[in-house]
Amino acid sequence: MPMESMLPSLFAGEAFRAAALPAELPSDTLMGNEAFAGFYSRSARPLWAYLARVSADPALADDLMQESFVRFLCAARPDDGEVAARRYLFRIATNLLRDHWRRPRQASIEELPEEFFAAVATSGQSDSRMLLGPALAKLSLRDRQLLWLAYAEGYSHKEISEVTGLASASIRLLLFRARRRIAALLRDQNPQRGLQP
Amino acid sequence: MTIRPCPCEKEIAGLLACGQWPQAAPADLRIHAATCRSCAELALVTSTFRAARATAAAAAPLVSPGILWWRAQLRRRNAAIERVTRPILGAQIFAFVICIAVAIGFSASHAAQGIGLISELTQHFRPAQIDVTKVWPNSIAGSGLALWALAGLIAMLVLLGGVAVYLASSEER
Repeated sequence: MPMESMLPSLFAGEAFRAAALPAELPSDTLMGNEAFAGFYSRSARPLWAYLARVSADPALADDLMQESFVRFLCAARPDDGEVAARRYLFRIATNLLRDHWRRPRQASIEELPEEFFAAVATSGQSDSRMLLGPALAKLSLRDRQLLWLAYAEGYSHKEISEVTGLASASIRLLLFRARRRIAALLRDQNPQRGLQP
Repeated sequence: MTIRPCPCEKEIAGLLACGQWPQAAPADLRIHAATCRSCAELALVTSTFRAARATAAAAAPLVSPGILWWRAQLRRRNAAIERVTRPILGAQIFAFVICIAVAIGFSASHAAQGIGLISELTQHFRPAQIDVTKVWPNSIAGSGLALWALAGLIAMLVLLGGVAVYLASSEER
């Protein structure tokens, strides 16, 4: 039985929506069910990839991704288009990840469940997986976040600054150092790649 | 540490973003990337991260957006309810404090009579031979004011008990 059919149909209706909304939030800042479904289909996979790779924990990525979307929907945010909305979503996820890291952990984050990715990686992608997993594990959380946002998501320094809360001026230097470090790690793991374009 | 970005990095980054590196790159740019450390690092790191992103995104186990949307509505509604009920809780606490203060004042004002009652009880109360007429002091029986005081005390206790039960039940909810 699909989960949606178990939910009361009233919840999807406008009547419930109007009743549920607090008076403080203007309705134009809130996303409707259909608009959210479209946004979710375009943003969920990149967000999960970010969380899973940075945290190295797919189960944690599941939880944080769902919590990020719920908080995103509950927040009163300016309607600046989808790019800004996605950046805002990544910011929520980054803060959640940071909060998770600050809490005392029961298991080490270095216990990477990389096997999870092995099941779905194609032969062409397995090379990057085999290289990136161990290399990322040797970096700090901040470096992983910066590298992922810059080189996987293609964010500019200013956008990374908005997502992470770091000063824009320091991101350039931090990113430069992190890139140098991970490039060295990647080259060490696979010397053939060295300076090949 | 001095950062000197290579002027070719921007062009290489553009090709990498389009997924056209190194196929669509001019030969001189490819030769440059093979010898320039900064450009080689950029190409290596970007291509590795892009491939990892594609792999991880394909593996993402997604839940239905309807469920998340519904959860958000529920959370928002609960937050709104909490905002509304917060002043009511404050009023409950205020009423409870007032009741306690009145009870203490009432008890203090009738302390003398209470002490007399306790001494009467200790004199007359014997477990083996309980006689209600002996336990019930004549001063109370004879005085209408004392009876009212006792009734007021019991009423106050009942009221306080009710408030305490209500507060406990509202906290559980």
